[in-house]
Amino acid sequence: MSTISKGEVKVKTITMRDAILEALTEEMERDPSTVLFGEDVGKFGGINGATKGLYEKFGKRVFDTPITESTIVAAALGMAITGGLRPIPELQFGDFVGVAFDEVFHKLGKWRYMHGGQMEIPVTLRLPIGIAGGSGPEHSQSPQAIFMHAPGVQIAVPSTPYDAKGMLKTAIRDNNAVLFFEHKVLYDLKGEVPEGEYLIPLGKADVKREGNDVTIIATALQVHTALDAAKTLAKQGVEAEVIDPRTLAPLDMDTILNSVRKTGRVLIVHEEQKTGGCGAEIAARISEHALFDLQAPIKRIGAPDVPIAQSLYLEQFYRPSEKQIVDTVKELMEY
Amino acid sequence: MAKIYQKPTNLKDYSKKSLLDFYQTMVKIRRFDEDLIRLIQDGKVSGFYHSGIGSEGLSAGSIIHNLRDDDYIFYNHRGCNQKIAKGVPLSKLYGDFMGTIEGTTRGLGAGIVHSADPSRGVLGQAGTIGSQLGICVGSAFSSKFRGTDQVTVVYFGDGAASREPLHGSLNWAGLYKLPIVYICENNEYAISCHVSETHSVKEHIADWAEGYGIPNYVVDGNDVVLMHEATKEAVERARRGEGPTFIEAQTFRHRGHFEGDPYDYVNPEVLKDWKENRDPIKNYKARLLEEGICTENELATLNEQVDVEIAAAIKKAEDAPLPGPERIYEGLFA
Repeated sequence: MSTISKGEVKVKTITMRDAILEALTEEMERDPSTVLFGEDVGKFGGINGATKGLYEKFGKRVFDTPITESTIVAAALGMAITGGLRPIPELQFGDFVGVAFDEVFHKLGKWRYMHGGQMEIPVTLRLPIGIAGGSGPEHSQSPQAIFMHAPGVQIAVPSTPYDAKGMLKTAIRDNNAVLFFEHKVLYDLKGEVPEGEYLIPLGKADVKREGNDVTIIATALQVHTALDAAKTLAKQGVEAEVIDPRTLAPLDMDTILNSVRKTGRVLIVHEEQKTGGCGAEIAARISEHALFDLQAPIKRIGAPDVPIAQSLYLEQFYRPSEKQIVDTVKELMEY
Repeated sequence: MAKIYQKPTNLKDYSKKSLLDFYQTMVKIRRFDEDLIRLIQDGKVSGFYHSGIGSEGLSAGSIIHNLRDDDYIFYNHRGCNQKIAKGVPLSKLYGDFMGTIEGTTRGLGAGIVHSADPSRGVLGQAGTIGSQLGICVGSAFSSKFRGTDQVTVVYFGDGAASREPLHGSLNWAGLYKLPIVYICENNEYAISCHVSETHSVKEHIADWAEGYGIPNYVVDGNDVVLMHEATKEAVERARRGEGPTFIEAQTFRHRGHFEGDPYDYVNPEVLKDWKENRDPIKNYKARLLEEGICTENELATLNEQVDVEIAAAIKKAEDAPLPGPERIYEGLFA
């Protein structure tokens, strides 16, 4: 847990769902130009419960839309470029970004640039992701890395209630587009969140655990798997440093490289498929900047390069496990 | 089925200034286009251009004296017609084509799409044809939410109308009673495919709007006054908070889809008929003279003013420098 700069701060323990709801509530109270919309986000409170009570509180500023992902994102862009509204749309499942690909990939990050920088795009698009509860191949994916290839969009992937709240508040206030990916398993994860206002900048990685022997870079749910693995490894005399980039764009390479230069060993873990996951880019940048600081090859663990099975039994084998992490770190330590 | 918008128009109901504004705007659009083609032929501009010659009436008629600067438009793939009618300075449009810093994109360059002038409600355009149909929902929602009476007019061709975003757009617009005027510039061809080969309609594209409960009309887009009247009613309805209207404006392009397109997929007799008998400028000019609104000399003076303006605009655009390579790293984030 990062420390908070204010002196005595009261903390509470809440779920990431509630942290997100707090961030949305506080920012909608703060800025009357914010509007929140998506499928079933109104009276129903969102399929994941992350917008519960907002309709009752903010009335017409929170509304249900038809099932039209591409129009949801296009409308958000259209609202933003009038300079009059600060939209916070939600796609019910991050996978549905495929339906709105033109709007997300071609428009959100590029509209400002390709029109000569004349407009601002204060859009925060929330996208629930991840393997959870046998949802099948098109409701379980983690498509965030695709958008590292889309200039102009920022990519947030929080792993704790504290990070989710602070980053979401920053994202909403930002005058550029942010894709905010929320892992569905993490909605029920509890963590400490301070009372009162705080913001976390986009583009600042967090060292979730310090260690001198190996650097584990992990995102979303895998931050927790990595922390569990680090505990097991510590019992065996290996101190792992666990880094959560928190945003993939901008990507805080300084924090990553500082750690890599200290440990000389790197493992990158994410739930995205291994090929073309964020680990590919992070590994490439580490090898560009710190190859000769490495004592072992860079290792990556991701989901296998096959679609995710619907089976509740089989889906667990897609998700990187604590054992895989421990075994891979041991391999790295042999160099 | 869509109503054919027909009514007798009386030029005496208009001020002379308004009538001459329609004329001069159409001439400006056409001369801009003709000079741009010349610049393409001189190798100063890429041929990736979609000429709007032959369809000036629907843009001038819908925008001039109907829309304010703070009304939003999303232009179509022959969108210089609409940008000029909305008042974007010609030097800035030429600058975008030439890639000089005079352009609205300050040197990034823009073809038809991607020039923008938010101060005149021109919020840009999608290169993926038809995607403006989704975006216009947002600008209209913004005006409605903020309680202004601003209207969004979205232009799209018959080709773009076949794209999927039209359904999402019409559904939202009808559902939330958004202040949008849809103007489908039906020139019958999506590049080489005739509308009859690509659209499943009862009779007209505008029929599609009927199912969404959106008032819809088919208008002769080459009759600038009729087009003005039809759009005026739609704009007023939108300003009153009564929701969207769908106008299918019938027209035909005089040139191919892009410069260099052999345009051999149209029947030469049909093209000849549109050029000779249904040219929006030629017919309107004849009507102005017939009805004694002005003299041939007055129109010649207006033409000369346009020529002077265009020559100055080209010079200004051409004299401006190209940006340095650092330009490509500017403006990604606010």
